[in-house]
Amino acid sequence: MATIDIAGAWVSIFLTMCIFSYLYDDNPIYKMAEHLFLGVSIGISTVEIYFGAFKPNMLDKLYNGQLLSIVPLVLVLMLFLKVNRKYSWVARIPIAFIVAAYAGVKLTGQAQSNLMTQVSQSMPDLGQLWADHGMWDWSADGAGVFSGLFLVVGLVAALLHFYFSAPHNRPMRMVSRFGVMVLMLSFGASFGYTVMGRISLAIGRVQEMLGLDRPAAEAAAIHPQVASVVSAGVVIAVLVAWRMQQARSAPPADAEPAP
Amino acid sequence: MTLFQFLERFQAMDRRWVFLGMAIAIIVPMLVPINFEFSVDERVQAMYDEVESLPAGSTVLVSADFDPASRPELEPFFRANLEHMFRRDIRVVMVTLWEFAPPLVVPILDEMAARHGKEYGTDYAYIGFKPGKELAIKAIGENIYKTFPEDPRGNKVASLPIMQGFKQAKDFPLLVSVSAGFPGTREYVLQIQGQYNLNMISACTAVSAPDFIPFYKAGQLKGLSGGMPGSAQYEKLVYPDGPPPGVRLLATQSVNVLNLGHLYIILLIVLGNVSWMLTRPRDVAAGGKA
Repeated sequence: MATIDIAGAWVSIFLTMCIFSYLYDDNPIYKMAEHLFLGVSIGISTVEIYFGAFKPNMLDKLYNGQLLSIVPLVLVLMLFLKVNRKYSWVARIPIAFIVAAYAGVKLTGQAQSNLMTQVSQSMPDLGQLWADHGMWDWSADGAGVFSGLFLVVGLVAALLHFYFSAPHNRPMRMVSRFGVMVLMLSFGASFGYTVMGRISLAIGRVQEMLGLDRPAAEAAAIHPQVASVVSAGVVIAVLVAWRMQQARSAPPADAEPAP
Repeated sequence: MTLFQFLERFQAMDRRWVFLGMAIAIIVPMLVPINFEFSVDERVQAMYDEVESLPAGSTVLVSADFDPASRPELEPFFRANLEHMFRRDIRVVMVTLWEFAPPLVVPILDEMAARHGKEYGTDYAYIGFKPGKELAIKAIGENIYKTFPEDPRGNKVASLPIMQGFKQAKDFPLLVSVSAGFPGTREYVLQIQGQYNLNMISACTAVSAPDFIPFYKAGQLKGLSGGMPGSAQYEKLVYPDGPPPGVRLLATQSVNVLNLGHLYIILLIVLGNVSWMLTRPRDVAAGGKA
């Protein structure tokens, strides 16, 4: 394994430890890693967009004599006029293009795939459900007539909770409360998935720090566990030094407050 | 110390003890592995079956839209999916809409292809990164040759042997979206899946999974893998006899760790609620806020 790859793995583990140090407190070594991350991200993004979009779609075309590509170039330059107070109005023209294009692109997709298809799916064929799954089918995520009916009732109740043009009298309140319960179930499921996602990310970092994400031969060359212990030692030393420096620079407890 | 005192101290506990507990819950089972059995979800099975149903020699379009932040959740699926397709002699054309994806996904594609002796341009190709989000997806639906005139190796995409007869997304028998967020599976479904009635499967992060389940239920997605458990289930289907030498099944080895992490969070939620409920009347009696 190349030395540069081993050094890269050590730097990666060290920076992970720096970021984890935020769990203790906001501190300079965390800030250093954060700023480094931002800088590298912007650098990669700039290079990828230049070679992935700007060069093939504009510069190469202009170089090959396709003068129509001058139009997007002019629009880009007009966008930069946003920083000039006198001519900032010029930037509204390319922004109008962007807004119009996005509105057009998004509208059809939302209407067709998100609205119409989902609305049609919220009206289950109960006869078919009974024939395929009966009342409840454990092997198919609980599909069946019960789930179909629950979907319809829950959807209607949740929608009625947000219906404000009728007084929320007693029957309406009951339906609305049921709608809130359905929403809470949905939020609970989303929260559960979010927790799972966050723990997964932590697992990924720990796998790297313990060398469990690489083939055994690579891990043997890198010694990731040694890198983790060394990195943790460096981070702890910096945190201790930072705390001591803070304690020295803090005013004594019995000092007179400044006027 | 009485129970009430313990519960009151528990509620005022420094949050850093929670982090330490989570670190222990993750690190210990990694060092001392425990293996619980897990079953394969219907959605992941459907995804696997969709790839299985393709005849050898088919060409699949893969959109690898993830970055290092979502690597633990999606890389295991990505590797297992490539392994599955190359093993079945399915050809792979890969694109990405994320600028941070290429340094991550291209080496994996090359590595998996080399392991199966696949040839670039004939058996697999990476035709590039395209910014523009929904507009790029729309363009992939309309004309791939125009959207990706050249691959990063400098080849004309239209002249690659693997791309012959595959000008639009609808020409591919299957679209695989490995999606960590925006743009990703949702945008593919909204922009081109419905319009061209594409056969599409998706592997997404756990955070996105609840949003995409309705797409699966509606038949817009033929299969769905959510987060690390989905990846582990796909690994289980692709490697039923365990990993071959030199291969690590990252999601499979993480599932038990994930289980313990969840148990720890559940324990904290239960303890937090119980202590709040039991100590609340004392606060009220003392004139505090309930």
